[in-house]
Amino acid sequence: MTTVTARSPASRATHRGGGGTFAGTWTLVGFMVRRDRIKLPAWALGIALFTLYYTMAVRAAYSTEADLRGVTQMIEGPMGALLTGPGYGLDAVNYERFFVSGYGLYVIMLAGLMSILLVSRHTRVEEQTGRSELVRANVVGRHAQLTAALVVAVIANAAAVLTATVIMVGVAGFAFDSSFLFACGVGALGLVFAGVTALTVQVTEYSRAAAGLAGVAMGAAFAVRAAGDVLDERGSILSWFSPLAWPQQSAPFVLDRWWPLSLCLGFAALTAAAGYALSARRDLGAGLFAVRPGPATAAAWMRSPITVAVRLQRAAVVWWTLTFVVAGGLFGAFTTSMADAFDELPETLLTALGGQQDVVDGYLGMLAIMYALTVGIYAILAVQGLRGEETRGRLEPVLATATSRWVWLGGHLAVVALGVLVILLAAGVGTAVGASVATGEWTTVGELVLAHVAHTPAVLLILAIAGLLYGFLPRLIGVTWVALAWGLLTGVFGPVLKLPGWTYDLSPFEHIARMPLEGFAVLPALVLTGLAVAVAAVGMAGFRRRDIHSN
Amino acid sequence: MSEAITVTGLQKSFGKTRALDGLDLHIDTGEVHGFLGPNGAGKTTTLRILLGLLRADGGEARVLGGDPWADAVALHRRLAYVPGDVELWPNLTGGEAIDLFARLRGGVDSTRRDELCEQFGLDPTKKGRTYSKGNRQKVALVAALASDVELLLLDEPTAGLDPLMEVVFQGFIREARVEGRTVLLSSHILAQVEVLADRVSIVREGRNVESGSLAELRHLTRTTITAETVTPADALAELRGVHDLHEMDGQVRFEVDGELLEPTVRRLAELGVRSLVAHPPTLEQLLLRHYGDDLDRRDSTTAGAAR
Repeated sequence: MTTVTARSPASRATHRGGGGTFAGTWTLVGFMVRRDRIKLPAWALGIALFTLYYTMAVRAAYSTEADLRGVTQMIEGPMGALLTGPGYGLDAVNYERFFVSGYGLYVIMLAGLMSILLVSRHTRVEEQTGRSELVRANVVGRHAQLTAALVVAVIANAAAVLTATVIMVGVAGFAFDSSFLFACGVGALGLVFAGVTALTVQVTEYSRAAAGLAGVAMGAAFAVRAAGDVLDERGSILSWFSPLAWPQQSAPFVLDRWWPLSLCLGFAALTAAAGYALSARRDLGAGLFAVRPGPATAAAWMRSPITVAVRLQRAAVVWWTLTFVVAGGLFGAFTTSMADAFDELPETLLTALGGQQDVVDGYLGMLAIMYALTVGIYAILAVQGLRGEETRGRLEPVLATATSRWVWLGGHLAVVALGVLVILLAAGVGTAVGASVATGEWTTVGELVLAHVAHTPAVLLILAIAGLLYGFLPRLIGVTWVALAWGLLTGVFGPVLKLPGWTYDLSPFEHIARMPLEGFAVLPALVLTGLAVAVAAVGMAGFRRRDIHSN
Repeated sequence: MSEAITVTGLQKSFGKTRALDGLDLHIDTGEVHGFLGPNGAGKTTTLRILLGLLRADGGEARVLGGDPWADAVALHRRLAYVPGDVELWPNLTGGEAIDLFARLRGGVDSTRRDELCEQFGLDPTKKGRTYSKGNRQKVALVAALASDVELLLLDEPTAGLDPLMEVVFQGFIREARVEGRTVLLSSHILAQVEVLADRVSIVREGRNVESGSLAELRHLTRTTITAETVTPADALAELRGVHDLHEMDGQVRFEVDGELLEPTVRRLAELGVRSLVAHPPTLEQLLLRHYGDDLDRRDSTTAGAAR
């Protein structure tokens, strides 16, 4: 007891520095950095690798000036502006300008995403789980947690600026001044979304909704910028209403102006200040709006294990479907730019797309396999979600009812399989409509939709492999990613990497006909589907024999 | 078939940890059976085996006459389960979850459900993620008690409930017994088991160490007696079966072994009793006897040092 009383004046002294509502901020900063000791370097490294890949890959794929000019046509024009930005310097393109104009937007958005997740993780997630109650019960001021989260966001974005600069200057050999400007643009946009998230976490009680709201803000910023950039070369006045446009308008390697970044900083400060103001108006753990009550009884259709699976999967399928309709439409609409550019495309890209003659069909076929691989991500995540149901203890009471394991797992896998079909259909419809609007050719709509749906059996096999692992070795579901990565390697990079023939046979996606380049092949589709059903059945048999693990 | 649950020599290991090491459990149809033991004794593992969620490594378990692993689905129509840690789906309301469990079991009696919600003071319109621990537990309890089943398996069902709700819970369990349902009530909350259980089993380190009615088990333990006597009573300390005798302000307080109660009380009466209070053994004492060997020894050594 005496040691405690002897120590307390000393510990009080250490807190004297940060009094009032900010007390404890620096301690919390240290604590958050400690908690994120893996995540923060991983993000900085991720941004560095992304930068590295796109600075070096561009150089490797288009090794001559003529190649580079050829591929630049793809990102010029309205569709290019929609997806990549104002396109500064594309008229006199070099590798630096191509990187910044073609890929810069996505590096910038990566920093935004990092900040959204970081700020919501250290504010609303903590409140929702009740951990901040414990923290705030100590000598911690009302604003300390938000402030500490923002300080950590500044640190994370500074790290991103540093790593991006190092890669661009040190590895790619770009000029320092412009590289540093670009990197600072990345960091500045990160701060914008740190500020935006500081605001959105005040609004709702749920961390996922708060992060989602910030994500919607980023989506809106993308849409405003896209519309603005389409209206006029180098962006129109509308573009300037989007924070995403500001780093792009600093135009590194072309105009090299720093002042647009001050807009970023100002906006970040403004949104963060609004966050502080709102946080003072609400209780710990509460949102600005009261939670809506839900239905007191379950809907009449929710009465079997399979309909429950539908209910639990519904939101995910809806979001994936919407995303794929939009993405399909956008990239489908890109078809004409591809067709216009194909004359000057470098040889490697042409090979990857299936040769000079059918470059449009090749491009659309490539889109289909890319979407199929992405839907594979959905399938694996869904099975990992099943594992989550088990480990979090939600499966236990379900299996304690008259629900057999066979029906539970089979039902969930069937619903995910149906989701795969729906999402691929959505991607197909989006692409077909987008491409048809762009080319004015509507006769191929059916074929294009089928080109996407035709990949379903390959994705089902991926799903079945995940199901198999879940049945026997649930901890190793992640191994399924290898199968998917293999599909990506052979399907998308195979021609460029000049892989040997047998490697293709290992990927289920390679057995699906590349429509519309090739005609639909019935036999492989049937074989793959049969294989998927068999593998899944073995997985279910394994699941019936193993223990249910929870907690 | 008079036994609802019969478990003999049950074994289960997780890696090197032996969770169950030859556990026996016999529960008659229609009784409320208390399943007592400290954390990690193997109570939850036993329940999970009885539900067919885990497969036993050895021994035999029969639930309602069936094999819990092979006949899981058929048996689950006839039983309901409340886990110790209730997790709900964050985006479904409590009411939806209740209906879901009830329908997956075979059907929902909505009047009964509404009555239970009201009695437990549960708002079924709130989303799963907004419930406190106690309210999540109420969701599981309502779902279990609303179903017309023969057997209730309850794993520390009131750990998160306030005392008022615990009384409501006790009412429903008594009702269940009147209706002829069998209840397995796992707990380390002794008072609760004491109030409800017809018989108890005490489990420790994966083995059943004691089984029987509370009356039977009381013979195994000590009665606490507090008395005020005309003549000083310190001589009682010499008697066989008397422990921890303390005297203070003319009051004497001691514990006496159940089987030696009669001769002790006879001697006490000779000393001229002014007032007498006798406490039956509580389950705390029962448990201390089985898990508190060390504690007992420490008590007697300090008592010895004091003397």
